[in-house]
Amino acid sequence: MSFQLIRPDINLDFVGKRRFFVILSTVINIAAVLMLIFVGLNYGVDFVGGSVVQVQFDKPTTANAIRESLKPMGFGEITVQDFGASAGHTYLLRFEKVANIGSLGPKLESQLSKTYGPNVAKVVRVESVGAKVGGDLRRRGFLAVIFATAFMGVFIAFQFRHTSWSFGAGAVIALVHDVLVVSLALVISQFQFDLTTLAALLTVIGYSVHDTVIVSDRIREDAAKRRREPIAAIMNRAINETLSRTLLTSGTAIVVLIALLAFGGPILRPSAFTLLVGFITGTYSSIYIAGPVVLFWEGHHRVGSLSSRAA
Amino acid sequence: MQTSPGNYQVEIALKSGRGPYRLLEAASAARGGGAIVLTLALESANGIERIAFKCAIADNLALDDDPEAVLARLAPWIEREFEMTREAALKSIRSERRMHVIVFDRANRGPF
Repeated sequence: MSFQLIRPDINLDFVGKRRFFVILSTVINIAAVLMLIFVGLNYGVDFVGGSVVQVQFDKPTTANAIRESLKPMGFGEITVQDFGASAGHTYLLRFEKVANIGSLGPKLESQLSKTYGPNVAKVVRVESVGAKVGGDLRRRGFLAVIFATAFMGVFIAFQFRHTSWSFGAGAVIALVHDVLVVSLALVISQFQFDLTTLAALLTVIGYSVHDTVIVSDRIREDAAKRRREPIAAIMNRAINETLSRTLLTSGTAIVVLIALLAFGGPILRPSAFTLLVGFITGTYSSIYIAGPVVLFWEGHHRVGSLSSRAA
Repeated sequence: MQTSPGNYQVEIALKSGRGPYRLLEAASAARGGGAIVLTLALESANGIERIAFKCAIADNLALDDDPEAVLARLAPWIEREFEMTREAALKSIRSERRMHVIVFDRANRGPF
């Protein structure tokens, strides 16, 4: 007998518990909006402008000593991150308000040599983004997320138009939910939100809608086959029928993302975290958000039965 | 090639797909392990980007001891392999927090 993670005849009552999960998701989404407004994302240099400078010292020093050394340059708030002894006295400096970002490397080396002596501090990396470019990238990134979400909704609505327009609405609401949950996780974790994280967020949108389509498609199929059954029962059956596929595909992707999060290093960690949270919430929203929206819509905007339109 | 007015002894202008860059000698050359090790940096002409890396050139390849002459030979090769060199150096510094080392020896002679 072959091993089966999910029994083929499984019949969990997803739809019956929808009120609890809709309330839970609403609370989480409201919390996400409030956290985004009052705490905010930890934007990387790509989005806020400024410079990231990596300096390697030939002898041990401290973050405070570096800050003190650079104070006369008038760069304002400087964030200094110590990479630890294993990185060979390497420090990451973040400048947010540098009026002239050009030639920052030579200027810093010159200033640090006054404190530490000549050739002790080497600027090994400078990456700068102007404030205007940063603001522009942030606006474009925000628009990319909105357009991706809206067009996914339009696409799903068009594909399922003969059954019900509610599938498009369900997909959009599920996607908005996913984006908000991932944003909340990023605000809480304070992982840096840069262009790579934005790409991960857009990937989450693509993945989540993919999952929603599978469930919606099965609802449409079952609705055509079982015209006499109430829509709630059809929906529950469809979710149960696709549960094995949903959990196995999400599970394998999640295992890979956990490995990436654990071993991918600090550069990949924010995007791996974004994808991990997004894939989990995308799977959840396909079941508990997209479905209930369709159910709510069909209950309140009934033109004909969903079953007869699906046939 | 020109002598830099700043900390750098030598700098050479490079043309790249990303616009003009400078190849700088970011620290004094060192000798060890049968190779001359140059600490170099690619810096964009407007100064908004700098990425340091090392080149270890086996003694039997770097016939000239003068870093300036070695750099002059190296510059056209780095200009040709600009994207690969920049990406490798950036990845190494960002994720491994150490400078990327390009080794030129009998197996990989590069421009030597």
